[in-house]
Amino acid sequence: MAEARGAGERAPVLTGGCQCGAVRYALYATPDKVDICHCRMCQRAMGNLFMAEADVALDDFAWIGGEPARFESSAQAERYFCGRCGTPLGFRYLEEARLSVTVGSLDQPERAEPTLQYGIESRLPWIDRILATPGATTRETVPGGAVLSYQDPNRG
Amino acid sequence: MSARTPVLEGGCQCGKVRYAFYAEPTSADVCHCRMCQRAMGNLFMATVGGVALDDFAWTSGAPARFQSSSVAERFFCRDCGTPLAFRYLAWPTISVTTGSLDQPEKGRPRKQYGAESRLPWLDEALQTPRVRTEDDPPPGGMAAIRSFQAGPKSDG
Repeated sequence: MAEARGAGERAPVLTGGCQCGAVRYALYATPDKVDICHCRMCQRAMGNLFMAEADVALDDFAWIGGEPARFESSAQAERYFCGRCGTPLGFRYLEEARLSVTVGSLDQPERAEPTLQYGIESRLPWIDRILATPGATTRETVPGGAVLSYQDPNRG
Repeated sequence: MSARTPVLEGGCQCGKVRYAFYAEPTSADVCHCRMCQRAMGNLFMATVGGVALDDFAWTSGAPARFQSSSVAERFFCRDCGTPLAFRYLAWPTISVTTGSLDQPEKGRPRKQYGAESRLPWLDEALQTPRVRTEDDPPPGGMAAIRSFQAGPKSDG
């Protein structure tokens, strides 16, 4: 686990955290790589069609609020998540001094556009077509009128 | 319930929490809203369901729960963090995350919600160069990988 080295001394380039706000992190350098991984392990771990991740050196990363829960998903890799709300937060190869954070947990996910796709052997065959399906805004579809969000109120 | 035959099954990465649908899903969609992005740590949430709670069961283990707003709750595995399900409190239905299905290819999304926060580069992200896992293997190479992912299928 990275020490909070750099925190307080260096200005974060990107920050992020989980939905409830219990776990927060900072990147002190621009990600070296942002990618999508379609491999079946990432799909399962994310409960999603793929994982999207932004990769930095551990020296340029710190957990700055709370501590994530950790799951070693193989002999080579561990994954981080919030034990309170469940948000998947990061991934790391144990042999490498690097860590990647999940793009959706960034405060500004739009700043981390993926440029590469891994794990295409299990890329879902219809994934390109789903993005052409009909769309609707949240205001049109959420039941019950007023929504009181319990998402960390300080960040988007 | 146990006498019925599951239509779809799924669970988390470590295998502690498992679920089953005993009726066909009535919906499959992605949601781009900022709450789903943050909760999934991803570019969107993909779910399959709209299934009545009477036709759904947690068949092994018990998920952790986070009420992300006054109208919805989310379920995940407390041991490995996999996001598993979402439901609106006012509705007697539940949806599971597509990637946690044993056969995610059966959950092709038909609609997109949360269009207001759909990431502007999402289409381009899926047109980036593609790499197979074996062509850029994890540290130590493919042969060294020992997966701790559970599930009825070794690859799933």
